[in-house]
Amino acid sequence: MKRFTLNRRTMLRGFLGGGAIALALPPLEAMLNGNGDAYADGEPLPRRFGTWFFGNGVALENPFDPNNHKLLWTPSGQGPDYTLSPQLMPLADLKEYVSVISNLEVRAKHPEVRGHHTGVSGFFSGFPYIKLDPMGANYSSKFGGPSIDQVAAALIGQETFLPSIQLRISKRIVAGEGPTLNYLSHKGPDQPLQPIHNPQEAFEKIFNGFVPQDDPTKPLRLNALDAVAEDVKRLQMRVGQNDRQRLDAHLASIEQIQKQIDAIAPECAAPAMPGETNTDQDGKEPLGPVNKVMADLLVLAFQCDITRVASFQYTGSVGYTVFHTLGQSQGHHDLSHDANANAQVDAATVETVDAFAYLLRRLKETPEGDGNLLDNSCLLLSSDVASGLRHTDYNQPCIVAGRGGGALTHPGIHHDAQSANASDVLLSCVKTVAPEITQVGGGNGLSNTPLSAIMA
Amino acid sequence: MIRSSISRPLLAAALAIACAGPGCYVGVDDPEATASDSLTAGPTQGESAGSDSAGSSDSDSDSGGDSDGDPGVELEPAPASLRLLLSRHYRNAVGDLLGEAAAAQVTPPGDTPINGFDAVGASQLALSDSSVDAYEASARAAAAVGVADTERIAAYLGCTPTGPDDAACHESFIRNFGRLAWRRALTTDELSRYVEVAQTTALDTGDFYVGVENAIATLLQSPHFLYMVDIGVADPDDPSRRTLTGTELATRLSFFLNDTTPPAWLIDAAEDGMLDSAEGIREAAAVLLEDPRAKDALDNYFSEVLQLRKLDSLAKDPAVWPQWSPQLAQAMRQETLLLLQDIIWQRDADFREILDAPYTFANQLTGPLYGLTPPGDGVWTEGFVKTPLPVESKRGGLLGQGALMSVLSHISSTSPTLRGKFVRETILCESIPAPPGDVATVIPPAGEAAPTMRERLEQHLSDPICAGCHQAMDPIGFGLENYDGIGMFRTEENGATIDTASQVSGTPFDGARELGAALREQRAVSVCVIRNLFRHGVGHIETSGELPTLFALEETFAERGYHLQDLLIELVANPAFRMVGTPE
Repeated sequence: MKRFTLNRRTMLRGFLGGGAIALALPPLEAMLNGNGDAYADGEPLPRRFGTWFFGNGVALENPFDPNNHKLLWTPSGQGPDYTLSPQLMPLADLKEYVSVISNLEVRAKHPEVRGHHTGVSGFFSGFPYIKLDPMGANYSSKFGGPSIDQVAAALIGQETFLPSIQLRISKRIVAGEGPTLNYLSHKGPDQPLQPIHNPQEAFEKIFNGFVPQDDPTKPLRLNALDAVAEDVKRLQMRVGQNDRQRLDAHLASIEQIQKQIDAIAPECAAPAMPGETNTDQDGKEPLGPVNKVMADLLVLAFQCDITRVASFQYTGSVGYTVFHTLGQSQGHHDLSHDANANAQVDAATVETVDAFAYLLRRLKETPEGDGNLLDNSCLLLSSDVASGLRHTDYNQPCIVAGRGGGALTHPGIHHDAQSANASDVLLSCVKTVAPEITQVGGGNGLSNTPLSAIMA
Repeated sequence: MIRSSISRPLLAAALAIACAGPGCYVGVDDPEATASDSLTAGPTQGESAGSDSAGSSDSDSDSGGDSDGDPGVELEPAPASLRLLLSRHYRNAVGDLLGEAAAAQVTPPGDTPINGFDAVGASQLALSDSSVDAYEASARAAAAVGVADTERIAAYLGCTPTGPDDAACHESFIRNFGRLAWRRALTTDELSRYVEVAQTTALDTGDFYVGVENAIATLLQSPHFLYMVDIGVADPDDPSRRTLTGTELATRLSFFLNDTTPPAWLIDAAEDGMLDSAEGIREAAAVLLEDPRAKDALDNYFSEVLQLRKLDSLAKDPAVWPQWSPQLAQAMRQETLLLLQDIIWQRDADFREILDAPYTFANQLTGPLYGLTPPGDGVWTEGFVKTPLPVESKRGGLLGQGALMSVLSHISSTSPTLRGKFVRETILCESIPAPPGDVATVIPPAGEAAPTMRERLEQHLSDPICAGCHQAMDPIGFGLENYDGIGMFRTEENGATIDTASQVSGTPFDGARELGAALREQRAVSVCVIRNLFRHGVGHIETSGELPTLFALEETFAERGYHLQDLLIELVANPAFRMVGTPE
């Protein structure tokens, strides 16, 4: 059957002398060149890109002074010798891999600046959100264009079993204001991607999607999807332009699932199914344990080259996560709008940065070639506002972590972007995995100038 | 009851409610304000993909109302679009087609609401890899279980297979099963494609029934199963309007009224032309309403629209409300549904009673929470009993119930804003704009200067940037401040007496029952009942070209005493439900 167009060379790398061997840590040293920085055939090691989101911004230096917009988050000093703020201390052992960027401006703005909506869509896609406010109904919005992880997935996703993966930790999400606040990944305005919040489901998606080559159902399933694709194509001729585009997406996904059914499993030691299911206990979310299991799974997915692109929604935009392990009892969004709760917001920020640090640390601890997985990754962190209280998207917290396969500056720096377009950071990040890209975003959010300060 | 035809000012005001752009009209609760409660000075167009709110609305709105369901009002239906089955539609359809054991296997993707409605998201969004993956896995799992039900399969077959190569028998199966699954007869072309799927599989495996199984799995992945496909037939008088075909309308009817795929009799009837007339549609709808699933479907609808689904994971601060538990949350949800069911099904009463009914259904969890006395000399049990609400509790209708009061609160406090926003958006169908960016949102802390939530928010309302919109919301919530964040009655907050005297659209009220009584007299409220049902039933927010028709329908609703079952029948027989515009 000749429908399979996945990069077979990638998938077959685990095979030696025609027979499969189980690899604990792919890629095998034997498959690398003498320097350990590329495969023996000269192809560079894969690079990974992930977005990492938390909702409602961070704490303010002085919440009671409406003219003071300074964030407790901001490090002191510039360049590589910067000093981490207390909020960023969980990253202390990773500092050489961490660049903090201050004073970015989200220029991808709908003329109606809408708290949280502007920040999350504008920052993570470089497109202004699309307003969905028909008369007499409640307001909603969609992302104005593909989120940056999906820009990357469109460029490098075909190299791997899963073009990308979407993970969610906290389930306290606002679904009532449309896909913008609900989801972090969007292939386009009408194609939001639902994240997985249950680690067992994530495990299934990453490790149990492979069909054995001799499985008798394989031809039946491919045959069925061929017939379905035929139905979709014929239906396209009978509907309007909007629906034709939706059906194009349907067709593309059918083709993708066919590839996955026909894919050869990489030789990689799969872990056991995790016991964690992200189920609340007495109304409390198991945030910490779920974050760790999800991060572990993501590291394995990167390591085994099952995907190279991920989005990680730690807490939701306008999300009402309760950081109960900090003794908190109120939802984070409520706290973020309460000047008296600044200290609680601050504590939640530290816990959030700690959760991010866990993922970075696990990547750093995972050897690859002559370095580690974090050397070959770029992780982009931001939020949907700078602070809940000021409700502004100017100077949203922003971290670019990892070395991006050598594309990012190392050691990391603190950079005052002086109102540079936030999309410049998006372009820099995508360039680490797809150097050929020349621009991202749209409208005022368009960027064709990567942020040179964070590039190597 | 004599009602005037739709007045132009009222309709114009309803259209003007599209509230966009920063700032709201401040004078909302001014007694001088018109009944429309216009929030903005003029209509502002949102860039909604699915809704044309700038269209002309100067139609002649004389309401005739003839026997064919045409109210004589100009109708410009919204463009047709494919609508994905909701998750519950998918599950129920598989159950009807292949049995409950098969339905238990499926894991369709979750719904994504837009503008507060799952159905609106289903009409706008595209599938992703994960959804196609989930549909594939679900279809295969359902087919594997379904094919094992030999009796059911034999009925679909209508023949005895002579061997794996019995293409005629495969064709018979696909014709019969496919017609139910796709809610229409397959074309010759489609039949032959699916027979080929079945035959290829059967011949490869040497098993006729593996061919059947693969045909089922394929039919269930087809866009003709996954989407409601509304193409219609062009109206000879106005080709921009298209009337749904009988089977398309049967599909819309059944998923709307029963949350599931149309039964065989309805597809038969649709093919025989029963749904070509308003009278035939009314008859069919009446039969669907007799089905017990009509009640489930409305329960699901109200759980969605009234945000009751949030009770499944609603957190409350145990330091403030130690009584809160998942069981209590579910009891509250049950209470609200029981009141709705009582009004709609048991009593078939004036639906507006949901706003001020002087009774509720209480059990051992909610009764004591509200301080109610069990009727007679009974004691509270797990079971719910109809219980009168004392006047001094000011309770009455949904707005005095624990479910809404809890959902429309924060984790450790009430939220007059959320409560007011709900009334504006869901009860009155008015738009409240999103809070702007770049605005400090400091609410003063509870203290001696402002011990109550009302006083705190009133300080906040001194900021003109916030006041415009909050004036439309917060005062409604102020009048409900006797109900705390889980709906318990209170008269004091932080040692201070709570002032619950407030007003809505110029009508003074104090407490839920008076608020409900004030609201139920507003025509916007009964129109909003129709608008919400319509949005869910057709998958888009009504456009300006459809609103006059819905206003006209409200006249029928009013003339006949506001019975919801009757409204459902009139709604589905209405041209606005039966027609679509040219797709965009």
